[in-house]
Amino acid sequence: MTSPLVEIRDLEKQFDLSGSLLEQITFKDGRFQRKQEAVHAINGVNLQVHKGEALCVVGESGCGKSTVARTVMGLLSPTAGEIHYDGKRIDNLKGRDALPYRRKMQMIFQNPYASLNPRMTIQQTLEEPVRFHQPDLSQSEVRAKVQEVMQSVGIDPDWGARFGHEFSGGQRQRIAIARALAVDPEFIVADEPISALDVSIQAQVLNLMMEAQETRNLTYLFITHDLAVVEHFGTRVAVMYLGRVCELADTKTLFANPRHPYTQALLSAIPKLEDERPNYIRLQGEVPTPVNLPSGCVFHGRCPHANERCRTEVPRLIATDANVQVACHAVEEGRL
Amino acid sequence: MTTATVSRWDRFRESFFWYSFKRDKVAIASFIVLLLMVLAAVFAPMLAPADPYDLAQIDIMNSELPPAGLDGADPAFPLGTDAQGRDLLSTILYGTRVSLMIGFGAVLLQSILGVLFGLLAGYLGGKVDAVLMRIADVQLSFSTLMVAIIVGAVFKASFGNLMFGEIAIYMLIFIIGVAEWPQIARTVRASVLAEKKKEYVDAAKVMGFGTPRIMFRHILPNTLSPIFVIGTVQIANAIISEAALSFLGLGMPETQPSLGSLIKSGFDYIQSGSWWITLIPGLVLVVLVLVINLLGDWLRDVMNPRLYKG
Amino acid sequence: MALLEVKNLDVRFAVRGGDLTALRGISFSLDKGERLGLVGESGAGKSVAAFSVLNLIAKPGYIAGGQILFEGKDLAAMSERELRKIRGNRIAMIFQDPMMTLNPVLTIGTQMVEAILAHRKISKKEARAIALDRLQKVQIPSPEKRLDQYPHELSGGMRQRVIIAIALLLDPEVIIADEPTTALDVTIQAEIMDLLLHLCEQENVALMLITHDLGVVSQVTQRMLVMYSGRIIEQGPTRDIIDNAQHPYTGGLISALPQMGEPGARLFQIPGSMPSLKNVPTGCPFHPRCEYATDECRQAMPDYVQAGRVDVACFEVSKRIEQEKHMQEERP
Repeated sequence: MTSPLVEIRDLEKQFDLSGSLLEQITFKDGRFQRKQEAVHAINGVNLQVHKGEALCVVGESGCGKSTVARTVMGLLSPTAGEIHYDGKRIDNLKGRDALPYRRKMQMIFQNPYASLNPRMTIQQTLEEPVRFHQPDLSQSEVRAKVQEVMQSVGIDPDWGARFGHEFSGGQRQRIAIARALAVDPEFIVADEPISALDVSIQAQVLNLMMEAQETRNLTYLFITHDLAVVEHFGTRVAVMYLGRVCELADTKTLFANPRHPYTQALLSAIPKLEDERPNYIRLQGEVPTPVNLPSGCVFHGRCPHANERCRTEVPRLIATDANVQVACHAVEEGRL
Repeated sequence: MTTATVSRWDRFRESFFWYSFKRDKVAIASFIVLLLMVLAAVFAPMLAPADPYDLAQIDIMNSELPPAGLDGADPAFPLGTDAQGRDLLSTILYGTRVSLMIGFGAVLLQSILGVLFGLLAGYLGGKVDAVLMRIADVQLSFSTLMVAIIVGAVFKASFGNLMFGEIAIYMLIFIIGVAEWPQIARTVRASVLAEKKKEYVDAAKVMGFGTPRIMFRHILPNTLSPIFVIGTVQIANAIISEAALSFLGLGMPETQPSLGSLIKSGFDYIQSGSWWITLIPGLVLVVLVLVINLLGDWLRDVMNPRLYKG
Repeated sequence: MALLEVKNLDVRFAVRGGDLTALRGISFSLDKGERLGLVGESGAGKSVAAFSVLNLIAKPGYIAGGQILFEGKDLAAMSERELRKIRGNRIAMIFQDPMMTLNPVLTIGTQMVEAILAHRKISKKEARAIALDRLQKVQIPSPEKRLDQYPHELSGGMRQRVIIAIALLLDPEVIIADEPTTALDVTIQAEIMDLLLHLCEQENVALMLITHDLGVVSQVTQRMLVMYSGRIIEQGPTRDIIDNAQHPYTGGLISALPQMGEPGARLFQIPGSMPSLKNVPTGCPFHPRCEYATDECRQAMPDYVQAGRVDVACFEVSKRIEQEKHMQEERP
């Protein structure tokens, strides 16, 4: 197997909740105590993104999928673990050293209403990155480049003098995609790029992203909560729950034969057009807070198949088939 | 989306800003009055019948003449004269000029300081934020007047009265500007904190842009509207501060009077019946401050992000 | 007689430069215990429709024409006082964001008791007992405890359950639910929808469900109407529409869903986007995005025609129906 383009190794990320030293100290039971709390957003994630594929990370809110995306892009620094790009460690790069990767790796954001600078015209928004990364280009070359990306995402280049707020949500997301494409990236992280859009617009943007993948030979890390989208878009799927990957499989296999109990529940909860009544696997309780992680398997409190081992021992991601890895004791033991 | 390019002027004419201005009679009236006052102040040397700074034109024999229409008025001095025999109309025109210069100058200075420190504190956060905001707190805990009195007294003592007259205007701009920057810095910091969470800032970071570029090119333009609102009100405040300082004798010297020092100089004669020396510049000051505040109120309503939708 | 009947409702927004038409000639009815879905994308007017049923449109919006008959009485012509007796009492509403309904500084119990006492003359104790009963109905774990908790102490799914419990407090005839699960995760959404469906069936409450999710509509409702640019373009039994959509927009919307396409293949896409209220095209508002658009569509607004049990406003569909009639007549 060829080496992966992006590799996430033992990634952990915690957000400190306890504030400054003064705020940590409380008076309890007759003495001062120092209390520290943290949100355990990611708890040991290993993922590899191969060249040319679209790896989808799926999960519900609070599972850490966006944190993975932001850590990979360097918007957050990992608490532990490493990010590698093309064999080089990048999470500790600073300033000039990081610059080449800022061009190779780009990001598309969730909210097209917030991701365009309201005080800049579309032309300025798109020209700035090109100028920044290719300072030796002439004015006309920059213009030509911007025109080319605008056309490729289906935005009329004559609209460059307009501001973001003059466009609809779908058009803004096209412009945001154009901005990412303007610096000719190899790898794009898309953080819920269509979840703020209407159904008919979602299809347009997904198609655009697939088209760009083919023509520009892109690799995607696609973050979403919508499993139905994944079936269309993803080469492989990683399902996350409370900061851990519970199942990793190629899309076809995952949809045909989900192994992890959480994946099964998640799949069943998609409202399908052919159903005349809600038809889903009922889970007990609710997602625990990531401040106090459950012991053992993070899913054990809601899992219908949990036993004593699940409550104490953290399951590791184990390959069950060539293309499937599952972190579940029940699957490993053959109970499921 | 029919026409491809829209000029800035068209954009302005279609904007909410212009629309609400057209419909607000108070804003229009305030703007016209302010514009007239600013124009009169700027063109004071051309409009004023006499030059109050020119000692050769002043005749002490003309002192304390009442405004036109009253007993003993001289038609050469439509608003009467002050205790030194200066034409009051000319002196007010020049005085408005001085007051406005101090108002705008002080706000310019405090905006530069406030924006810079507010941006740094809000964007960099952490220790920078803590230090800058504590300095702002300390600054705010001194009243403007107190700082001005101390600094003014020190200046006066060290430069002497004559030299002080020449630099007084810059000193006042400096004192009022420095004393009031935390107001702007706090507002800027608050908007920066809100803006830096938005995804366009992340997008700029992902592009690899440096911190100064993100701060000044991306965030700053989005924090300008509250600065605009506060700045307007602060001009009025600065003019009042200056008047108060002058009234206390710590502001502009009587040889180059501002509205405040005019009021003060007339105050000594109010008992002797020469009320106009105080009252007329006082009215001008009140009108000036009022129209600026009214415009500020209107601006705040227009720029309220909850009401303002592109 | 239908429980709720909306007839030719026009809603406009008075803005600078004249009025904008938000709803144009909306007519539909809701029977007792019936579940109706309102589907459309943002800007289609489905939320405005829901709010106007309760005569709750905020300024600058206003009802410009038409009737909203609830048990024969016109809500559009009622005084604010009479309306208050119906809102929350006979017709309850569930919003997308639970925090819009819940007051963050009062306990759940206080808020529920207050809502009951506003409409019923009973003791606080009895009101509390009703509140507890409703919390049990929505299957909240340890309902006793919840009464004394504040909204922020509950999770999103739990809050939405509380909202449903509040909606049920006064045994309403109709529940209007505006995107009740959009802010929730899929697994929670499935639970809430299931709960809402069961409660409506069990209590024989009519449900008006506003959503953009066709999957939810197909699972929960019996009849649906599709809105586009302030107009109902198609309405009829949910199954008939989902399985065999008549209007090109409805058909496009269904085909655009990722679950309908071949995995990995391009999705079907409707070009363009919904026009803003400021520049609604002449004729059929969908014509700029429609592959069947003719000059007729560009000039005139299509009337409703019957296609099976479905009412559709589309010239293409009416032409097709005409042709089918001819074919049948020609056949001996």
